[in-house]
Amino acid sequence: MSDPTTKSTEPASAAGAERPTSASVVIIGNGALGLFLADELIERQVGSVVVVGPSHRDTGASHVAGAMLGCFGETTTESLRTEAARTRFELGVTAHDKWPAALRRLKEFAPSDRPLQTTTESHIILNSVGAELDTVNFAAMIDALDQYEKPWTEIDPNDIPGYRPRTESRALRAVHLPEEGAVDARGVLAALERRLRQRGAIFVDQTVRKLVGSDEEVTAVELDDGHRIEAGNVVVAAGVHSESLVRTVFDEPELMPIFPGLGFAMIAKRTAGEPFTSVVRTPNRGFACGLHVVPQGGGLEYYGATNRLVHTISSVTWMADVRYLAQYSMHQLDEAVATHEVVNWCSGNRPVTLDGFPVIGWMPLSGLYLMTGTYRDGFHCAPLLAEHVANELQGKSGIIDPIFQPMRKPVATRTVEGSIDEYVDHSLAAWFETGAQAAPQMTTSQIADYYRNMAVQAYEQLGADYALGPDILLYAQGNLHGARRVARYLRTVGGDGEAARSAEVGTGTGGTR
Amino acid sequence: MTVVQPSVADTVRRLVITQLDITGPEPRPDEDLRRWGMTSLTCLGLMLSIEDTFEIELPEDALRQATFRSIDSISAAVESSREQATRIAGEQRKR
Repeated sequence: MSDPTTKSTEPASAAGAERPTSASVVIIGNGALGLFLADELIERQVGSVVVVGPSHRDTGASHVAGAMLGCFGETTTESLRTEAARTRFELGVTAHDKWPAALRRLKEFAPSDRPLQTTTESHIILNSVGAELDTVNFAAMIDALDQYEKPWTEIDPNDIPGYRPRTESRALRAVHLPEEGAVDARGVLAALERRLRQRGAIFVDQTVRKLVGSDEEVTAVELDDGHRIEAGNVVVAAGVHSESLVRTVFDEPELMPIFPGLGFAMIAKRTAGEPFTSVVRTPNRGFACGLHVVPQGGGLEYYGATNRLVHTISSVTWMADVRYLAQYSMHQLDEAVATHEVVNWCSGNRPVTLDGFPVIGWMPLSGLYLMTGTYRDGFHCAPLLAEHVANELQGKSGIIDPIFQPMRKPVATRTVEGSIDEYVDHSLAAWFETGAQAAPQMTTSQIADYYRNMAVQAYEQLGADYALGPDILLYAQGNLHGARRVARYLRTVGGDGEAARSAEVGTGTGGTR
Repeated sequence: MTVVQPSVADTVRRLVITQLDITGPEPRPDEDLRRWGMTSLTCLGLMLSIEDTFEIELPEDALRQATFRSIDSISAAVESSREQATRIAGEQRKR
């Protein structure tokens, strides 16, 4: 293996660009995690840094993100219920503080005159559309804000700029969060790329076919056309593609499954009415992230988002999702949305681990580091995780909890009974949000019984006693591919809460070379 | 002493009967199992028990409800999966 501390290139391909043959660090993935990490590594002068990923970023999550810089707006009843969940929540709290400096660094590289930070505040609305789950999550958010002594005020929903829902969907309550804003995800990615190019990072506009190495180490990556780049260390930050990439060299059954969380959002140009000047959103909702609008600057607004776990990675959009988002934005946010002009149909895949926690750490093969599984807030956490991973690549102590090690047993945060309750709550929320209709004499408790029965049967059929999150349970009970992956993985790792609780976090022991 | 191995169809039939908790008359090999109480969830459990019992991994394109429509269709999927596994093992031995 050549000396990875010096960068070398070979004349390239038909495209005419030069491609590296070696680098100190090869980062697979050009989303927020990969780019912030590259920036951190270059800042620390660790040697040459190569970022591999297709420039179109199709099927990724970052380029279609709403990029709300919010952790309290994301609070659910689960967020602080266990120590593990609290640790996860605090990743977001800590990450939040990293953004002012990150935005200062990126400001001069912004691709347009529009500010990268599009708003500095959020309004969280509680309307009656989203069932009881909205109510309890709204209460959990206020409780969390108080616990962490963050500022918030209750306001009249009619005072929220731009917020003009239909009468039947009007908010009952609203809270103003003056410290939770949003960034223009596409602008931030472009600024990062410009900054990185200026500072010597090399971008390879291709995909990686496989990792190269032995049973003990990873030494290179092989691109789709067979070209190899030797690496001192390889960081897989390829989102939903990460698991399959790791499996090209480490195909072990205990590797945490990562599912595609296919999501859809729209960026639209406002044509009438008062614009939104803040993030306006519901609490997190059934199996998804709630309805939200995020100002983008330049008269544009981002409306999001749907979430469905799927078997196949793609960037397709479901008609049902288009209908859902358009109709509910008009009903619940602003009637004037009806005449907005859609300028960008955003579809991407969030990386969703089986236990819902990120996978960040060294793999058992030396030279291989995994950085993904961040689900809905990879963008928000990226500056923090970049610092952490850079530390670990340099052999220093990390700055986040080791609970996120990729070879851990699945983190247990609930009982099976609690999981079934949660599944019922989310299903009911989704039922009402989507306007599902039942026979007039059918009561909510009867609908709940139906969902409860489904969940109980799903656990029986899966043979699992590890308590799944509602989204994973929904996926497993409705999809044979999903069921097989979940069942097999849980059998491999013990599959029960006791095993998960008692298992010492299985640290990746590979480390850097 | 000769040990008679049950046929694939016999084993599938036994697994179906267990999975659907059938007592008394049994479904015909070509009969639609939905008439015998097969649901998407019992299908899920049957898929797992089929793979465990035969120590196979059904191909991706077989993971659909239609594969589990009848004892015949399940048996065909198992046979196909076994043949495929044998073929792959043979190719690997040649290398």
